[in-house]
Amino acid sequence: MRALILRRLFTAIPTLLLVLLASFALMRFAPGGPFDGERPLAPETRAALEAAYGLNLPMGEQFALFLRRTLTGDFGPSLVYRDFTVTQLIADSLPVSLTLGGLAILLALVLGLAAGTLAALRPGSWADETLMLGATLVTALPSFVTGPLLALVFGLWLGLLPVGGLGDSLISAPQFWVMPVIALALPVAGAIAKLARAGLAAALAQEHIRTARARGLSTGAIVLRHALRPALVPVVSYLGPAAAGLLTGAVVIETVFALPGLGRYFVQGALNRDYPLIMAVILLYAALIIAFNLLADLIYGWLDPRSRA
Amino acid sequence: MSLYRLESLSVAIGGRVLVRDVSLEIAPGECVALAGASGSGKSLTSLSPFGLSAGRIGGSAVLDGKELAGLDEAALRAVRRDTVGFVFQQPLTALTPHLTSAQHLAECAMQAGGPRPDRAALGDMLDAVGLADPLTKLKRYPHQLSGGERQRLMIACAIAHGPRLLIADEPVSALDAHLRGEIMALLTRLRRETGMGLLLVSHDLASLEHHADRVLVMQEGHVVEAGAAQMIAHAPQHAYSQALWAATPNLKSALPDDLPQPGAALVEARGLTVRFPGSGLFAKPMTAVDGVDLMVRAGEAVALIGGSGSGKSTIGRGIAGLGPVSAGTVLWRGEPLSAKRTRDQRRLIQPVFQDPLASLDPRWRVSDIIAEPLVHLRPDLTSWGRAGLVKKALQLVDLDGALADRLPTALSGGQAQRVAIARALVAEPEMLVLDEATSALDPLVGAQIVALLKRLQRDQGIAMLVITHDLALAAQFCHRALVLDAGRIVEQGSIADLVNHPQAAMTQRLVAAS
Amino acid sequence: MRRIALPAAIVALIVLAALILPALLPWSHDAIDWDHVRAPAGSPGHLLGTDELGRDRLARLAVASRITLLVALAAALVSMIVGIAWGMVAGWAGGRVDEAMMRIVDVLYALPFMFIVIVLMVVFGRSILLVFVGIGLVEWLTMARIVRGQVMTLRQRPFVLAAQASGAPVRVILWRHILPNIAGVALAYLTLTLPGIIMIESFLSFLGLGVQEPLTSLGILVKEGADDMDVAPMGLLVPGGVMVTLLVCLTLIGERLRDRFA
Repeated sequence: MRALILRRLFTAIPTLLLVLLASFALMRFAPGGPFDGERPLAPETRAALEAAYGLNLPMGEQFALFLRRTLTGDFGPSLVYRDFTVTQLIADSLPVSLTLGGLAILLALVLGLAAGTLAALRPGSWADETLMLGATLVTALPSFVTGPLLALVFGLWLGLLPVGGLGDSLISAPQFWVMPVIALALPVAGAIAKLARAGLAAALAQEHIRTARARGLSTGAIVLRHALRPALVPVVSYLGPAAAGLLTGAVVIETVFALPGLGRYFVQGALNRDYPLIMAVILLYAALIIAFNLLADLIYGWLDPRSRA
Repeated sequence: MSLYRLESLSVAIGGRVLVRDVSLEIAPGECVALAGASGSGKSLTSLSPFGLSAGRIGGSAVLDGKELAGLDEAALRAVRRDTVGFVFQQPLTALTPHLTSAQHLAECAMQAGGPRPDRAALGDMLDAVGLADPLTKLKRYPHQLSGGERQRLMIACAIAHGPRLLIADEPVSALDAHLRGEIMALLTRLRRETGMGLLLVSHDLASLEHHADRVLVMQEGHVVEAGAAQMIAHAPQHAYSQALWAATPNLKSALPDDLPQPGAALVEARGLTVRFPGSGLFAKPMTAVDGVDLMVRAGEAVALIGGSGSGKSTIGRGIAGLGPVSAGTVLWRGEPLSAKRTRDQRRLIQPVFQDPLASLDPRWRVSDIIAEPLVHLRPDLTSWGRAGLVKKALQLVDLDGALADRLPTALSGGQAQRVAIARALVAEPEMLVLDEATSALDPLVGAQIVALLKRLQRDQGIAMLVITHDLALAAQFCHRALVLDAGRIVEQGSIADLVNHPQAAMTQRLVAAS
Repeated sequence: MRRIALPAAIVALIVLAALILPALLPWSHDAIDWDHVRAPAGSPGHLLGTDELGRDRLARLAVASRITLLVALAAALVSMIVGIAWGMVAGWAGGRVDEAMMRIVDVLYALPFMFIVIVLMVVFGRSILLVFVGIGLVEWLTMARIVRGQVMTLRQRPFVLAAQASGAPVRVILWRHILPNIAGVALAYLTLTLPGIIMIESFLSFLGLGVQEPLTSLGILVKEGADDMDVAPMGLLVPGGVMVTLLVCLTLIGERLRDRFA
């Protein structure tokens, strides 16, 4: 177990460094900068601005400065939202994105596991076929199609739910979260349903299930005690990529539903070449993905003791 | 009075009757065995009355005075839970991988309503099946136990709720030869102590003589012969029982005295060592083969015998130039063979593997498979020349030329192994490395392959390195044998010496098991 | 094959329409019909109507499908070739080479790729070529992992050992024994890659970072439709419908192929 965590860290450190270096290099060596506005700035103004943001230092120093700051959690001021530091922007928007992502993955797990288990217990049945076709259907639904469609039907036509924006909080205004969370969760729920169905069917076909049946255990006991853990292995391995997918999907959903989350800041930042903001967000996302993969590995070890080397 | 009685039992799957008219009777403490080749219906007969196969039963099956035929799944479940225990063939896959020994045993002890056993009670259960150091083993997962330990755990589980009847479906055939006798003896001891009946399913007639009271020999779904175990073992009446008996190699039959005289040294390995990198970043490398010396003369058959994990296959691959060699040399007629074999060196030694279907590319036709060595090793041949040699090779292994256009999936196991042998022979090698070449086959089919190998040995004078776990098989056509344990050779000599005066503990166990 | 026939036929129909329709229609996808701005569906000459700039929706849909399919196919082929080559070398070589190659894949896997692609688009301008490169960078990783796993199992299979004993050189073994035996799985995953790529391309186009005007793609049409949906819902429903149909059918084909081969 410790070896596994060590190995993960061996991957994580170069990954994070690579992310930083790649995005830093891309941003800095690319033509165009944050102060290329409609109207060219006077050379003095430009030089003053660049000096203020440390853009006139040699590249190596800029990167070193950036690394030092990153380690202390200080990403400097945003180049676009000039009254805010990047850390402030992230602190404001991260809770929105995390709530969105967390609720979506929760919903996806509940829907997916329920549908997958139901289908696996009656293989080949009408319910199985329907559920799995539905799962494929929602997996293939991109969130940038479902998002606007939901908004069109439930927001504009039926007027049941607000089309966008954010109420005071999740507790006081849950109606603002319904459509974004559903649009984000559906494809993940479909994928989980398919994995759970396949995993449970495979687990139930294993020989140790026959042994459990030979002991006269009930179907419920067999599924819960002998089949569920191995069945969850593929679902858990999918959690890492699923987290990445949710983060990506969240960018669109936040744009579609005008939620003040991290994704929207990222797109704005990228379009405006807001270097500190972009790098902070990418770093954060990379760290989140790595954390999710590590978590998945830890759960994996519990599900299947054979994988604990 | 009988504990378990089958009367005119039949089993059908999807309308096809696969087992018909089987009758048997087991008294408490008695063992009745069902013997037969795979596909003879013996497993179906043993499992179907309890609802553990896809088959539907007809006729009557009475356990402890209760009729099983016609019971629904819930009632059958109660019967399995309360009165019967089951032991299956593959203990590694038949035990739940994420539950420890203790969790397995506790579940089994409580399945019929018993109280939750404490640690000491669980340890006693493992002790009763002869597991050494039971308290430590309680915390282990199945994959952390050895093959023999796993099967003992499975038996402990099967008897934890005090069943009246134990059904053991090929309980030892997945185990190394030297463990089989121990596990069979354990089953015999347990049924005598507890008075439970035992229904044993096995394809190994030889072991039944000592461990079963009565034997039913099955073929294609019905019983061809039934009687006392001693009778069937020594004087089988039915032709099929005789064939099955003859196909089960054992050391009691006389050793062959007509083996061809070996010539000069052909291949020689000196100090052969193979290490594999350990898994994990800082793990130590694992030594699979440790300084092995061996020699095979022209026309000689040498057996390399050992249990699974003894390194015997690794040696075979090293000599055939198909696997890594960490240290040591392989000589051919005194000249060292390079690590990366040249074309001419490849031709000299050809392998035949255990699983015949896996050793043929599923996308190639039989004729292309057999011609492959010719394409690379005999570039001088035209396609006509190759076709002629392929035809000859097919004849040599007694295969119909019409099979040449088939894909491997359309072949039986025996046919596929003949194709593999034809491929090995087509480029006229001087030596074959046979890696468990008969052990994946049915005993009857395996016997035919052995006959083919003996003919090749006599007619072609081809040398063989025979890798096997089965001393009795080696005794049929090998001149000498080397006994391998944990990567080292522990004993070697003529087969007769090894059989009559085994010195090393490993050899003694192998002899006892045969 | 029966279960693949229906989705395959639908995909073929969409492909055919995307190829033929632009040549048959009187309007090109960016021509403006000043007399019919925001024509409703079924108007004479404009079967699906026109958008807020007076461009024919059907022509735009056909061209958009064509671009989306083209990008998807090209990127999928590139990712397949890179992925198969990488996976075969790593799986065959084993040991340290494999360790190093797969660690690179691990590292790339953990990158938030969508974001890096977005940065790429922003930095280097929005060319279609870059869309390929960006997508190709992401999509070969899964293929490489799958192929490597397959090769690792296959190379231990006795028939591969027998081929080595037959004196077959490594390239022949890889080409004639390994590749044909992984082709089915690779094909299935190629089919599953296509919807993934379509989604990425559309996602980028949706954000205004992918395919650029005057070219168009399904993602752009969905974006335009979403912006205008309170006035003209058809503008969202039709391209959204085509895209979802395409994605669902390709996913179904891919899954069913995979179930057959894996």
